[in-house]
Amino acid sequence: MEALLFTQGLNVVFEALILAMLVLGLAVVMGLLNVLNIAHGEFIMIGAYAAYIVQRAGLPYLLAIPAAALVCGVIGLVVERCLIRPLHYEPFETLLATWGLGLLLRKCVELGFGRGYRSVDIPIGGSVSLFGESYPTYRLVLMLVAVLVLASLFVWYRRAPTGARIRAMVGNPVLAEAVGIRTRELARNTFITGTALAGVAGVMVAPLTPVEPFMGLTFIVNSFFALVVGGMGTVSGLFAGATIIGGLQSVLSAAVSPTSAYIAMLLISILFLWQRPRGLFPRP
Amino acid sequence: MAYFLVRSILILAFLILIPPLLGEFWAYQLGLYFIYGLAALGVGLTWGQAGILPLGQGMFVAIAAYLTAHGLLAFGSSPIAYLALPAASVIVAVLAFAFAALVFRGRFEQGPSFSLMTLALTLAAFQVANGWSSVTGGFNGLRNIPGLPGLDGFLDLYYLIAILLGLSIAAVDYLVHAPIGVLWRAIADNERRLAFLGYDVAVIKAVAFAVASGLAGLAGALYAPQQNLVTPDLAGFAFSGDLVIFAAVGGRATVLGPVIGAVVVGVLSAELRDRFPWWEIGIALFFIVVVLRLPGGLMTLFAPLQRFSFARTTIRARSAAPGKPRIATSLSVAFEDVRVRVGDVTILDGLSVRTGEEAVLCVIGPNGAGKTSTLNVMTGMLPRRGGRIVIDGADVLRPEPAIVANKGVARKFQTPSVFPKLTIDENLAVALWAGRWRGFDLLRLGLFGWTSPLLEEMRGRFQFLHDGTRPASALSHGERQILELTMALITEPRMLLLDEPCAGLSHEETAAVIDAIQWARGELNLRIIIIEHDMELVRRLADRVVVLHQGRFLADGSVEEVQCNPEVRAVYVGGSR
Repeated sequence: MEALLFTQGLNVVFEALILAMLVLGLAVVMGLLNVLNIAHGEFIMIGAYAAYIVQRAGLPYLLAIPAAALVCGVIGLVVERCLIRPLHYEPFETLLATWGLGLLLRKCVELGFGRGYRSVDIPIGGSVSLFGESYPTYRLVLMLVAVLVLASLFVWYRRAPTGARIRAMVGNPVLAEAVGIRTRELARNTFITGTALAGVAGVMVAPLTPVEPFMGLTFIVNSFFALVVGGMGTVSGLFAGATIIGGLQSVLSAAVSPTSAYIAMLLISILFLWQRPRGLFPRP
Repeated sequence: MAYFLVRSILILAFLILIPPLLGEFWAYQLGLYFIYGLAALGVGLTWGQAGILPLGQGMFVAIAAYLTAHGLLAFGSSPIAYLALPAASVIVAVLAFAFAALVFRGRFEQGPSFSLMTLALTLAAFQVANGWSSVTGGFNGLRNIPGLPGLDGFLDLYYLIAILLGLSIAAVDYLVHAPIGVLWRAIADNERRLAFLGYDVAVIKAVAFAVASGLAGLAGALYAPQQNLVTPDLAGFAFSGDLVIFAAVGGRATVLGPVIGAVVVGVLSAELRDRFPWWEIGIALFFIVVVLRLPGGLMTLFAPLQRFSFARTTIRARSAAPGKPRIATSLSVAFEDVRVRVGDVTILDGLSVRTGEEAVLCVIGPNGAGKTSTLNVMTGMLPRRGGRIVIDGADVLRPEPAIVANKGVARKFQTPSVFPKLTIDENLAVALWAGRWRGFDLLRLGLFGWTSPLLEEMRGRFQFLHDGTRPASALSHGERQILELTMALITEPRMLLLDEPCAGLSHEETAAVIDAIQWARGELNLRIIIIEHDMELVRRLADRVVVLHQGRFLADGSVEEVQCNPEVRAVYVGGSR
């Protein structure tokens, strides 16, 4: 019984960490730039397809990470230049534009790869015995990677001069420009970072889920509502949202059914959007 | 009115003439696109008019389709089955109204939040439709739904759909041009201003959402007998998204645009789906182009035809607006130990001040003294942490802009707050209707002719108000100040709050505004509270001056008394305090 609880606990942590990884790119774009990138899920999907191609080509799976980051970064660059910047980073207009973008990317991938499910093999097989219970190694590796990525990004954001510049730009774009911060380049790079992170997250989850053109929809919904609950633009918000939504999904899926877990998440999100639209830990 | 009838009849005749010209296959296809067009018509109404983007209208289509399907399965060939159509539509509209009124209550400019709530709702509805097999037939949906009794073949049903669509277009066309339509556009423009005029913004928005959802419901009710099949896909993310795309591609700001969008996208996809696998990419690209460059959608192409639209150009006979039930005494207000904090900043620190016998009270104080915040907390724009606010002898426990406005308080903001996209006449009309409309007045075109002696007086004083068809966005800063002042005055308030009413005005304009304020005060017997830095203006208007400092009451008295007060001098000159 205790071992089962332990596995369950580990699953909750796993869901929360993976969700935090999936949300990260969206959190960067939405929390810092106020751009509601509805196509975020499609960038995750493209990352997953990158992983599929790399694996099919017989190349080492690790290569998929730079490949996905590159592809999604380049698409992000084009999107920033052609969509987001002309719309002046307006939340509402960019929401619509990225809605169209999501449609476009889904259809392009569908045209290239077909609608069918592709599966990506788990690159690190086997399982590890923890307190008498076996747990898949790949999941443990993912958790480790997620912790490392999240922690280093957090430290970088707090310590590095670029982090300070981004915070200055978010706080007051006009003043930031006046003191010599190139807000245009900075915003572009932030956006690209967000899409590239989505691609990397796609590589991480690809072996755990069927890879298909519409897979992004589930991810965007979960990530989006995690941010809504947690609050935009703060690290605590990211973790709180990922823990609540990811944990809830994990527990309710195991205890009742995945469908009720999903519906419960949607209802909680509606409550938050209504009563606390800025989330638990909003940017001050 | 004549234009409106002609246009509606032309549209209806066109819809009815299609099948003899195009054949039965197209009657079936177009019937389906018209159903989508019905739902898109509603999206255009809420989004293009009231500025509320619904991302989950598919849910309402689905609910109505399931309801109708059960109605048809239960009653079969009995004529009672026809009742399922209006019943489903009305049930869905009532549901939508209840949800929207609840969510909109007490909140302003929710923007994307509401859109995302509707998205979450439809996602949840999809799951429920998939899982609740006993009612919805689960994943495979409800099959073999009988058609409507007495209608043979697709052609009969086509005529029913076409007639309902034509009537719906006419109804929406009418609403958009009726006073309620002006209020919807006013909401999209400047929600708070409307609340400060005393309108219940939440209800007006909820009505728009309910009408849109009723149309979605009608679409769903027709979908069931047309397709003989209802699946959870109707509640899916993709279908709701398609409705938004139809509205955007066709042109959300117009009545016909969304319907045209649905038909064009539908026909194109039917024609191109098999031949060009990439046609959907084309649609997605076009949608993006619309967002980027063509906010008017396809209807931009028809812009030259706009002249023929049923128009406000007809000069309406002027009629006197009904008088406002009004108590002829001025309103009193008292603050008792009011405290306001935002974050770590103390804004009002136990402010106690009350109006007395005077007619014009000027509030002065250095920047950050809490002058504007005093008005904000009184009108419910800032939450209060403690103390009491008493208006007209009654405690106001939860001040809200509309509640305070309906007590007879009108407010003019520091930066002029008007409806920039509406014309001068519409701006004035919205203010004039406030508190005067009763029952179904907001559906009567006659309201556009309303006028009042006060309005005519202001028109006489300020010539630019005669130029009624100019949009308010084309006005200069000074003209906007005067327009807003006029809007505040013609609500015939018992108390007028003016926040630096003459900022940015020329010397002549300032003189004219002071003159108008003096006149209105005598005419309406009103109390005026003015926040002002300009001591010249204070000297000319004030019966009494109150000085605030750091969120507290510092001194009061006549202009001379206050000017001689050593404490006041110290605050302004930066002495020992």
